[in-house]
Amino acid sequence: MAAPDLLVIGGGIVGQTAAIRAAEAGMRVRLVDAGVNAGSTANAGSLHVQLQSRFIRLFPELAPNVEASLPLYLAAVREWERLEAAHGPFELVRQGGLMLAEGAEQMRFLEGKAAREAARGLSVELLDRPALDRLAPWLGPQIVGAELCRDEGKLNPLVANRALRARAAALGVEMRADRIVALEAGAGVAARGASGAVHAARQAIVAAAWGAGALVAPLGLALPVRAEPLHMNITEPGAAQIGHLIQHAERSITLKQFASGQIVIGGGWPAESRGDWATPAVRAASLLGNVALAARLVPAIAGLRVIRTWAGMNTTADGRTVLGRLPAAPSVILAVPGDAGYTLGPLAGRIAGELAAGLPAAEDIAPLSPARFAAPVRLGASAVRLSA
Amino acid sequence: MAPDATFRFDGRPVAARPGQSLAAALTEAGIRAFRETAKGARRGIFCGMGVCQDCLVTVNGQPNRRACMTPAAPGLEVATQAAFARLDPGATLPERPPARSIAPDVLVIGGGAAGLAAAAAAARAGASVVVLDERKVGGGQYYKQAAADAPLDPQQAAGAALIAEARAAGAEMMGGVEVWGAFDGLLFLAEVAGGALVARPRTAIVATGAYERPRMVPGWTLPGVMTTGAAQTLWRSYRTLPGRRVAVAGSGPLNVQVALELARGGAEVALVAEATGHPLLRPAAAAAMALTGPRLTLQGLAMLAGLRRRGVPVRYGLTLDAVEAAEGGALRATFSDGRSVTVDAVLMNDGFEPQNEILRLLGAGMDWDPAVGHLRARRGEDMQTTVPGLYAAGDCAGLGGAPAAVAEGRIAGACAAAACGHGDAWDLFADRRALARHRRFQRALWRMHSAAPRPLDDAPDATILCRCEEITLGEVRAGLADGPGHVGTLKRATRVGMGRCQGRYCAAPAARMVAAATGRPMEDVSLFAPRVPIKPVSIAAILAAQEAVDGSA
Ligand SMILES: Cc1cc2nc3c(=O)[nH]c(=O)nc-3n(C[C@H](O)[C@H](O)[C@H](O)COP(=O)(O)OP(=O)(O)OC[C@H]3O[C@@H](n4cnc5c(N)ncnc54)[C@H](O)[C@@H]3O)c2cc1C
Ligand SMILES: Cc1cc2nc3c(=O)[nH]c(=O)nc-3n(C[C@H](O)[C@H](O)[C@H](O)COP(=O)(O)OP(=O)(O)OC[C@H]3O[C@@H](n4cnc5c(N)ncnc54)[C@H](O)[C@@H]3O)c2cc1C
Ligand code: FES
Repeated sequence: MAAPDLLVIGGGIVGQTAAIRAAEAGMRVRLVDAGVNAGSTANAGSLHVQLQSRFIRLFPELAPNVEASLPLYLAAVREWERLEAAHGPFELVRQGGLMLAEGAEQMRFLEGKAAREAARGLSVELLDRPALDRLAPWLGPQIVGAELCRDEGKLNPLVANRALRARAAALGVEMRADRIVALEAGAGVAARGASGAVHAARQAIVAAAWGAGALVAPLGLALPVRAEPLHMNITEPGAAQIGHLIQHAERSITLKQFASGQIVIGGGWPAESRGDWATPAVRAASLLGNVALAARLVPAIAGLRVIRTWAGMNTTADGRTVLGRLPAAPSVILAVPGDAGYTLGPLAGRIAGELAAGLPAAEDIAPLSPARFAAPVRLGASAVRLSA
Repeated sequence: MAPDATFRFDGRPVAARPGQSLAAALTEAGIRAFRETAKGARRGIFCGMGVCQDCLVTVNGQPNRRACMTPAAPGLEVATQAAFARLDPGATLPERPPARSIAPDVLVIGGGAAGLAAAAAAARAGASVVVLDERKVGGGQYYKQAAADAPLDPQQAAGAALIAEARAAGAEMMGGVEVWGAFDGLLFLAEVAGGALVARPRTAIVATGAYERPRMVPGWTLPGVMTTGAAQTLWRSYRTLPGRRVAVAGSGPLNVQVALELARGGAEVALVAEATGHPLLRPAAAAAMALTGPRLTLQGLAMLAGLRRRGVPVRYGLTLDAVEAAEGGALRATFSDGRSVTVDAVLMNDGFEPQNEILRLLGAGMDWDPAVGHLRARRGEDMQTTVPGLYAAGDCAGLGGAPAAVAEGRIAGACAAAACGHGDAWDLFADRRALARHRRFQRALWRMHSAAPRPLDDAPDATILCRCEEITLGEVRAGLADGPGHVGTLKRATRVGMGRCQGRYCAAPAARMVAAATGRPMEDVSLFAPRVPIKPVSIAAILAAQEAVDGSA
C-alpha cells in the first residue's frame, strides 16, 4: 500500500478530528495510537469556557495565558456544535455553567472574573441566591450566589468519540495500534513503532498529549507537557433535573448530569500515578473529598449511590494551546490542546488538519505556535532520507 | 401469635416474619417484580446475595435499597423502584454521620467457611481479629444460617458451631458491614447502616467467597428467574420457597442439592436439567470422583436418590434455551430437546465466579484457570497473595468448595497471626493434608460437571448480556466489529458492564469474546480494570468515611 500523505500520532479527540479534517480535504491518512491513557476516553465531557478557578489557583503564573485563550474556548464550543450537527447527536447541551460562591469574598472574586471574561466576549452574568433558586433550586443553603456563563455546556464523550471514530473510518483513515518510539523528520517523516513497523509519510501531526514531549524533543522542541492523573466519580441514575455544569469559585469541582440521569463528579482531584504508560490508581482521599464536596454543594444527589470511580490522564503544558509547525522540522505539526483539552480538542484538531492539507486558516494561530518552546536542535537527529 | 414484621409495598400490606428479608417476604406474597428499568422492563431477585443490584426498592423514601439485603421491619413503606430516582431538592445531609475506625492485627473480610475458620485460628493464636460481613445472617454461602429459625440440617448446625468457635476464640464479628473500597497500604472502607467503618489492619484476609455464574438465555432477566443459590438463601435463611413450582437448570452439584432442599420444603420441582452427560456414560470421571471423595460422592448419590423418590425428573445433557412470561405471572422455560415447562420460578447455576475484586484492586497476582474459566489468586503456602500482608482464603481465590475453604482459612489465619507476632503457625500439617485432599476431590467433581463457562456462540442476538445497562449480545457483537483490542474499549463503545453491578455477569463473557476475536489468551488484564467502589456506596457512607479518614490523617 502506498505511503499515506499524513501520519497522525495519537488518537484522542485532537488526533481523531485532525485525521477527519485532513481526510475530508482528500489526504490519505494513517492514525497511529498507543491506546494508553487517552484523556479523551476518561474525561468528564464538560464544555468549559469560563476561567476555571482550579487552574488559576494551581498555576497562577499561567492564568494570563488561559485568559488570552478565552476566545478560543468560545470558538471551540461552536466547533463542537458544528460537529454534533454533522455527526451527532453527542448529547450536547449548552444550558450554561454555574460557578458557585459560598461567601461574600468568593462572590467578589467572581465579580472580578466576570468583568475580565465579559471583556473577552463571554456571555456571563452574576446571580444572587434568589435568582439562582429560579435556575437551580437544589443547591445547598450555604451558597450565596453564582456566576452564570451561558456559553458553557456538556456532552457525552463516549458517544462523541464513537461517532467520530466511525466518521474517520468512513473517510478511509487507516487506524493502527502502535506506540511510536522515535520520530524523524526531514523532507518527510518516519516514525518507528514499538511493533517494529516504520510509519512513513509526507507530514505528521503529533497529537500525543502527554506523550508528545518525548517525540518532539529530538526535533528541537522543549515542550513542557506533563501527564496529570485525575480522578472521576459517577452515580447511579436519577431523574433529570440538573441542566447546568456546576463549578465552584474556589474549590476543585465539576458536577453535571448526563442524559442517562447519572451524576458525573470530577474537577481535577488527583489520582496516583503508576507511570505515564500505566493506568493511574484511585486515591481514597480524592474519592471521599470530591464526592463529599459535591454532596455539600448539591444535597439533592445524596440519595444516589456512587457506582464507579476512575482515574485518567490529563495533559498540562503552559496553559495555552500548542498548535503549529515545528520551527526546526516543518513537516511536523504539533497539536496539544491545553487546559480543558476535550473542549478545545476538535478546534485544535481541525486547524491542525487544515494546516496539513495546506488550506487557508480562518483563525490566527501565531500566538499558539510551538516556536515558544524552541530549543537548540541536536545535530543528526532530524534529517532522514525517506524511501516512500 | 407469631411476631410480625408486616410492611407496606406500594401501599398494600405484606406479611413478614422478623429477620426475613424484604425480598423473601415479597416473594412469599407472590410479588416478583421490584423495580423498573430505564427501558421499561421489570426486575426482581436474581442473585439473592447483594451482587446483581436488580432487587432495588425504595424504602421509606430512600431509593435503590437492595430488597435481598434489607430486613423487613414493621411499618416500613416499601415501593417499586422507578428507573430514575427523584432528586429531592429539599434534601439535607446527615449532620454527624456515624463512623468507626479500627486497626486490628488481622482483618477478615467475609464471614463464611473460610473467614470464620481464619478468624478462629488467628484469634486462638492471640491476634486481635475483626470479621466483617455484609450479610446480617452469618455463615456465608455454605454455612448460611437461618435468620430466626432453628438449624435446618447438619450443614447449618456445623455453621453455627464454626461461628461459636470463632467468637469463643475472641474474634469480633460485625454483620451488615459491606467493604466497598480497598486501597494500597491496606486501607479498607466499608458502609454500615448508612455510616462508615474505616479499617487500617496490619494484615488482611480476604474471604469474600464466590457468586454464581448464570446461564444467559433469552428471558434470564425476567422476574422469577433467579440463581439456584438465591432460591437456596430464600429457603435456608428465610424459610421462603421461591415459588410453588420450580425448574432448575445449569451444571453442578448445587442444582441437585437445592432441588432436593426445595422439594423437601414442599415445592414441586418440575425438572432438573444438567448440561453434562449422564455419569453412567462417563465411568472414568465418576470413578475418579468416588475415589477422591467417597463420603461426598455418597452424599451426592443420596441426593439424587432423594429426588427420584420424590418423582423429580433429573435429565442429563439437557440445557435451558429460553424463558418467557406465561399466563398469570408464570414462566415458561424451554429446553434444548424442545420440551417446555410452566413454573413460578426458574433457577439457574452454571458454576461460580470468585469475588476477587478486593484482591484485584490491591494488585494481587492472578492466573487464569481455563478449567473453571476464572482467575485464581497466586498464593504461597501461607495463603499470602503477592501483596505483602494480604491473604486470600476460600472461593474468592478460585473455586475450591467449603471444606477446602475451611482448611485454607485455618492456614491463613494462623499465618497472618504469626506475621503479627502471635503464635508460630508451625502446626498446620493436618490442615495442609486436608486441603490437598479437598482439592483433589474438587477437580474430580468438576470433571463430572462442566465448570468451564459455556460459549455464547449459539445464543441469539436478542439475549441480554449486560443486565444493568440492558445491552444485548447483538449490540456487543456489533461493537466487536469495530475491532476493540480490549474489553475496556468495548465497554466504552457499547456500555456493556457500565451499570451498578460493575460487570459481575457480563465482564467474563465479553472479555472472552474479545479474546476470541483478537486471538489473545485470557488473563487478569483481559477483564475490566478493577475499580472502587466494589459495590455501589451511599453518599452518606462517603461523607462519614471522609470525616473519619480526615480525622485520623
Ligand atoms: C479525568 C479527566 C477529566 C477531564 N475532564 C475534562 C472535561 O470535562 N472537559 C475538558 O474539556 N477536558 C477534560 N479533560 C481533559 C481532556 O480529556 C484532555 O485534555 C483531552 O482529552 C486531550 O486530548 P488529546 O487528543 O490531546 O489527547 P489524549 O486524548 O490524551 O490522547 C493522546 C493519545 O496519544 C497516545 N500516545 C501518546 N504517546 C504516544 C506515542 N508515542 N505513540 C502513539 N500514541 C501515543 C496516547 O496513548 C493517547 O491515546 C479531562 C481529563 C481527565 C484525565
Ligand atoms: C449462593 C451460593 C450458594 C452456595 N451454596 C452451597 C452449598 O449449599 N453447598 C456447597 O457445597 N457449596 C455452596 N456454595 C459454594 C460456596 O461458595 C463455597 O463452597 C463456600 O461457601 C466457600 O466458602 P467461602 O468462605 O470462600 O465463601 P462464602 O461462604 O461465600 O463466604 C463469603 C462471605 O463474604 C461476604 N462478603 C463478600 N463480599 C463482601 C464484602 N465486599 N464486604 C463484606 N462481606 C463480604 C459474604 O457475605 C459471605 O458471607 C454456594 C455458593 C453460592 C454463591
Ligand atoms: S437479588 Fe438483591 S442484589 Fe441480587
